[in-house]
Amino acid sequence: MHHQRVFQVKSPAPGLIELLIERGDVVFTPGDCVALFNPAGVSRPYSISSGQDEPYLRFLIRDMQGEVTEWIANLSEGDIVKFSRPFGWFRPGLNGDAQVRSVFVATGTGISPFISYLRTQPEARPEMCLYGVRTAADAVDVAFLESRCPTTLCVTRESVNGYVRGRVTDRLDRLPIADDVHYYLCGLDAMIDDVSTWLESKGVHFSRIHREVFFNA
Amino acid sequence: MREILKVDWLRTPEGDSRGYIESTELTEVWFHTGTNCNLSCPFCLEGSKPGDDRLNFLTLDDVVPFLDEAVAMGCQKFSFTGGEPFVNPHFVDILGAALDRLPCLVLTNGTEPLCNRFAEIVDLQAKAHDVSFRVSLDHPDPSEHDASRGKGNFKMALRTLGQLHDAGFHVSIARLMLEGEDSPERDAGYAPYFQEAGLPDDMTIIKFPDFMTPGSMASVPHITEGCMTQYTDEAQRAAYMCSFSRMVVKTGGRLGVYACTLVDDDGDYDLAPTLRESMQVRIRLKHHRCYSCFAFGSSCSEGH
Ligand SMILES: Cc1cc2nc3c(=O)[nH]c(=O)nc-3n(C[C@H](O)[C@H](O)[C@H](O)COP(=O)(O)OP(=O)(O)OC[C@H]3O[C@@H](n4cnc5c(N)ncnc54)[C@H](O)[C@@H]3O)c2cc1C
Ligand code: SF4
Repeated sequence: MHHQRVFQVKSPAPGLIELLIERGDVVFTPGDCVALFNPAGVSRPYSISSGQDEPYLRFLIRDMQGEVTEWIANLSEGDIVKFSRPFGWFRPGLNGDAQVRSVFVATGTGISPFISYLRTQPEARPEMCLYGVRTAADAVDVAFLESRCPTTLCVTRESVNGYVRGRVTDRLDRLPIADDVHYYLCGLDAMIDDVSTWLESKGVHFSRIHREVFFNA
Repeated sequence: MREILKVDWLRTPEGDSRGYIESTELTEVWFHTGTNCNLSCPFCLEGSKPGDDRLNFLTLDDVVPFLDEAVAMGCQKFSFTGGEPFVNPHFVDILGAALDRLPCLVLTNGTEPLCNRFAEIVDLQAKAHDVSFRVSLDHPDPSEHDASRGKGNFKMALRTLGQLHDAGFHVSIARLMLEGEDSPERDAGYAPYFQEAGLPDDMTIIKFPDFMTPGSMASVPHITEGCMTQYTDEAQRAAYMCSFSRMVVKTGGRLGVYACTLVDDDGDYDLAPTLRESMQVRIRLKHHRCYSCFAFGSSCSEGH
């Protein structure tokens, strides 16, 4: 277990928390999460969204007013947080390989593992990133994502100039389909199921569809 | 045989000598890959959940000496359980090393951690021995399964079973056994799902009673030496897992050999640092889960 100090807590949009925790000697692989423990000992996993060489661990957390997020939303700078060693199975770019052809599809805070991977691998250039959010303010690091790959931002609850109005699943026809591309899907289960089914209908094999479910609708 | 000299190990609270098993041969070695799991099922007998470290991740270096020792002792099979084994980042390498030596069985929840490593798993078919996967499908009703494992996980596990089967692996399922159930009827409830996933009708279904969470104190009768001699014969005693198997576990950074797969929450069952020494210890049936073996003949092994 690790115990580290909260460096910063911000709320870039209503219901969204950006939490920075001092890194200490924590070692991780992009795609890893850690389990954060509230004072009652209840834990939930959260995906790291910082790069491997950054001095803090960054998390993007949807405030669901649940057992753990309610506590996270009330954290302040300097508080000590208990969390597990990083662990994970979701590996954008197949264990961080910058050469793998990859496509990212994320909803909400599901963008975290992709940001971590891109920050860790400056040479990585994914084929595409489809990123779905409720409002434009919920979208994180858009300029950074756009600087690294063709990014389509889909906004469901408002119309914003330059962004697509609708769900990521409305834009699947933009995804490149090829035998050497790996598809990484992260966020809401319904999106992940729909995108998986669509990809398989296009002949993409199960072994090239990588899934990380954060939330069950 | 070495006897552990502790009063509550040797005697029941009433002062009777506890029943025991003296292991004869080692045919199966289990490895506990760690209690970290992507799911947190309320009934988990290991108390596994995301980030949990009660039992630590095993590494390849931890495992190799036990693999070699087991082979030298005539072991026939390696089995792996968790937590979810595929959450352990070393697991595919560990499984590869085990498959270089003997056939293996892997217990898995069949969800994202396995699926995300599917291509590496398929590559294991080039190994000298076969691996078989046992996937948990607790109930033949997806909503009952998902109520404890999380929404969508029945469908995911079923899909994984189908994909593993398609890729040429032997697969089976593990399910919960309900009190007073009509077992053949409950087993038959899986048939439409097996069909949907392209699985054979005669899939092996392993049933488990509720073993209760770690550290819980179930009130079950104590098993005395008298019970073991009156109600079991030699062949039945030889079928107890602690008679022919062991489990390797890592806690607090230390490796130990436990009596079986069911008692890793009780340090008394940490018999020895090596497999060979662990076979010299008389195993007293003190744990509440020992009663499941006594009453139901529970076994996590296939073929026993
Ligand atoms: C591998 C992994 C990585 C993850 N990474 C992230 C991440 O980076 N960012 C992120 O935001 N999330 C992430 N999650 C999700 C996260 O782990 C939590 O599930 C989430 O934050 C909710 O936790 P909670 O304790 O606050 O809510 P819980 O208490 O678990 O409740 C969840 C929701 O259900 C509602 N609820 C609770 N009890 C009831 C009830 N009895 N009846 C009706 N509704 C109820 C709550 O209000 C809440 O909306 C990840 C999940 C996984 C599996
Ligand atoms: S739980 Fe069963 S197999 Fe394990 S030690 Fe007890 S009697 Fe033996």
